[in-house]
Amino acid sequence: MTSDQTTLNRPEERLRRSSGPDRAAPKRPKDPFARSAAGFIAPGVILVAVLLYLPLLWTTFLSLTEYNGLGDPEWVGFANYLEMFDDPGFIGSVLNTLLWVAGTLLVPVGIGLGVALLTWNLKGGTWLRLPFLIPYALSGIGVGVIWSFILSGDGALDQALAAFGIQDTPRWLVDAPLNTVVMILATAWQGVGVNALLFTIGLQSIPKEPLEAARVDGANGLRLFRSILWPMLRPLTAVVVGLSIVASLKTFDIVQGMTKGGPGRASETLALTMYKETFVNSEYGLGSAIAVFLTVVTLAASILYLRQQLSSKHGV
Amino acid sequence: MPFKHTARIVRTAVLVVLGLFWLLPVYLLLVNAAKSPETFTTKESWIPTDFSLLANMAEAVRLSGLAESAASTLLYAVVSPAIAVVVGAAAGFAIVALRLRHGFAWFVVVFGGTVFPLQMILLPLFDAYSRVGLFDSRTGMIIVYTAISIPFSAFVMRNFFTGIAHSVFEAAVLDGASTWRIFARVYLPMASSALVAVFILQATFIWNDFLLGLVLSQSDTVRPIVTSLAGMQSTYGGAQMSTVLAGGLLVSLPTVVLFLFTQKFFARGLALGQY
Repeated sequence: MTSDQTTLNRPEERLRRSSGPDRAAPKRPKDPFARSAAGFIAPGVILVAVLLYLPLLWTTFLSLTEYNGLGDPEWVGFANYLEMFDDPGFIGSVLNTLLWVAGTLLVPVGIGLGVALLTWNLKGGTWLRLPFLIPYALSGIGVGVIWSFILSGDGALDQALAAFGIQDTPRWLVDAPLNTVVMILATAWQGVGVNALLFTIGLQSIPKEPLEAARVDGANGLRLFRSILWPMLRPLTAVVVGLSIVASLKTFDIVQGMTKGGPGRASETLALTMYKETFVNSEYGLGSAIAVFLTVVTLAASILYLRQQLSSKHGV
Repeated sequence: MPFKHTARIVRTAVLVVLGLFWLLPVYLLLVNAAKSPETFTTKESWIPTDFSLLANMAEAVRLSGLAESAASTLLYAVVSPAIAVVVGAAAGFAIVALRLRHGFAWFVVVFGGTVFPLQMILLPLFDAYSRVGLFDSRTGMIIVYTAISIPFSAFVMRNFFTGIAHSVFEAAVLDGASTWRIFARVYLPMASSALVAVFILQATFIWNDFLLGLVLSQSDTVRPIVTSLAGMQSTYGGAQMSTVLAGGLLVSLPTVVLFLFTQKFFARGLALGQY
């Protein structure tokens, strides 16, 4: 710590001098950039903390209270959760949400994989994939506008069926659970393309050698898929499946746009039930309890792909 | 060889048929959005009659303040992701280049903001926004869109910076550059492709947002465009369907075009776990 030292241009030495004479041991300072690093991460941490975590905690607290926005929240313990599971409308909403999870796994992920395999190494494959990609960047409401029109009574679909002699068609958006099924298919129409794109990237990253070797050995079609492609696509499939599950659990836009959860509460999903209880019925406590429930389920599902994601090495 | 040839033809044929099937809703949208309200009928959806698409679009804009919504939404979709990519990059820079203590823990804190559903923050935001005067304000919308874009941005930028050798940073320090200068002049320019990718993904997400707009805004000037479209659908969906369809087309075009031209960015970003 001699003050006659003149070459103090390296950060650690600058810091060493400023630590004062009472620090006898010339310990290497822990980190010359500590303050600067804190400054760089602070905006992100503050924004996320104030706008995401604080509300998160408040919702968790509200879920244990009775509150309608006026006066103060009144502590009621787990009463909202008990009320929630006693409500047949909520149970129906859970079942619908499960249907969404299963349906969006089966249809968009399945067809997406099929399209990726069909276009793989195919001349003009990029162009043949295009029709599936067009709907992808539509908003949920945009998809809802198109399909509400197609599925309305005597609408485009009914007219097409009538041309094939089918007159007695169901009321697509009214009869439950058919309305949930057709909304899942509308979402599938939108989602196939992006899954196909993801699987295509996965297929392109498969090394050529084992493929060639298998081909030489006479493996083709289904055999090739089962013994080489599928095992190599497994990690990516886990990501796609995880994404699909998490996204479907949060389904809101398209249902709100097409049926508003109706008729009655027949096509409600959890996200929609939460919205209605909170912003339509002003049952803040109950709405918050549903939000907490939805979050717990989503987090459990997220673990499926988060592990994969946090350990992945590639950036954009 | 002939077998392989046949397989190719079959594959192409299946894709063409399936692809055409996939385009049917797009066809129906275009045909019916182009029918003037006088000729439009719900009974004849498959046959084109006339071309009043532009008139319908203009009418849609007039009916529901879509022009003001579009201007606001453009503002949100540009400003929020722009701030978020820089804030996210700064976080990544702190963790990777400046070797922030407990960097990984801080990273998990920031990234963790993206794993729970929006439903968890809606009510407190609505409540707090109403109290502090941010409800139904453009500032309020920009702030919330920025905050929800940060976790993914920090995630991608941290990954990206991990790929830059730490000696780059050390060399710049020896040259006497300040950390801010190193960030702005060395790290940000190197990350431009990743910054653009994150920006495009988030801008699309914000343009297509419905829920936050529904809860946090009210007036035509502040309300995001998709939320306005939903309002237009429930108000005019019965009487003026072709106008609503034209509005839907108008609202959807920017993101669809953007997406088709930047597919690769999307695919990479999505593989990393957005939505």
